[in-house]
Amino acid sequence: MGSARSDGTDGAGGVSDAADAQMLAAHKILIAGGFGAGKTTLVSAISEVRPLLTEERLSSAGAGLDDLRGVASKTTTTVAMDFGRITISERLVLYLFGVPGQERFWFMWDELAYGALGAVVLADVRRLRDCFPSVNYFETRSLPFVVAINCFDDARRYDPEEVRVALDLDPGVPALLCDARQLSSVKNVLTTLVESISAEDQNPRRMASALPPV
Amino acid sequence: MPPAGRDGKWVRRDLGPVVRPYAVTGGRTEPADGEVLDLVAVVVAVGRDSEAGDDPIRQTPEHRKILRLCQRPVTVADIASDTALPVGVVRVLLADLILEEAVRVVRNRPAVQLPGNDVLKEILNGLRAL
Repeated sequence: MGSARSDGTDGAGGVSDAADAQMLAAHKILIAGGFGAGKTTLVSAISEVRPLLTEERLSSAGAGLDDLRGVASKTTTTVAMDFGRITISERLVLYLFGVPGQERFWFMWDELAYGALGAVVLADVRRLRDCFPSVNYFETRSLPFVVAINCFDDARRYDPEEVRVALDLDPGVPALLCDARQLSSVKNVLTTLVESISAEDQNPRRMASALPPV
Repeated sequence: MPPAGRDGKWVRRDLGPVVRPYAVTGGRTEPADGEVLDLVAVVVAVGRDSEAGDDPIRQTPEHRKILRLCQRPVTVADIASDTALPVGVVRVLLADLILEEAVRVVRNRPAVQLPGNDVLKEILNGLRAL
């Protein structure tokens, strides 16, 4: 049904206070992967993409990269990112946040990952190494994730099992091929992720990802 | 160096706002209530809309803009995107409105526990229906 698709104009107009706690729940899914792996393509294939400015505190992560000479009082830096919004129902919205892959943005990850449903690691087989950091991060945080191997036209096709071995994935982590440009393919990736979360049977590994952001 | 227009002024819109981000908060970078709202925290106006305009805080255009967006339940990420203000700035301004009891937080962080199977099933069905 097309009506389930986000168009950013909910038109809910004055929802009464009585509806309250039942009225809107938003869940996050992170889309990670190296630069150029197709994160934005994937998000825009399934949702309306909206720009977001985050004004982040400079941390040690930016030390040496952000030249602070002459601007000693500067403590924040602006990072532009995108997110996708999928309206599941009137009271349930799914947000897809593309996570900047470069290590200098890692200070943003904890906040984004906190309370997230799970993550998609988008892999480009030509540069598989680029998604090692994302895989490590989600494994360490015990955040449920799937590895989606983006099938670029000019890339050799690999069996997902080969990629699984190359990334040394745990048996429970799904790995699948996808075309980040295709709605049906992206749907398949996201449903695989949500199904894998259900399959985890509410086990306690979730708690480890519930660390508050630093 | 960005391209210069006729008057030697920068013209590209995507260079961002001319005003430094935290100028609209009066230089404050911390939410007044000390609470850092999640990107998908849901907030809503408390619905005393007729009184708007009496309070000096709400006189700033950014506060008013945010208050307007909060007439229906809305997430911090949507507010930031709709106002083109950095998330950090939105958090500071929202905290003002929350302290003033013009806005309240419906849900701050997503549940620490996994959502129930019914919610996951609803998400699955919703995705499949796209």
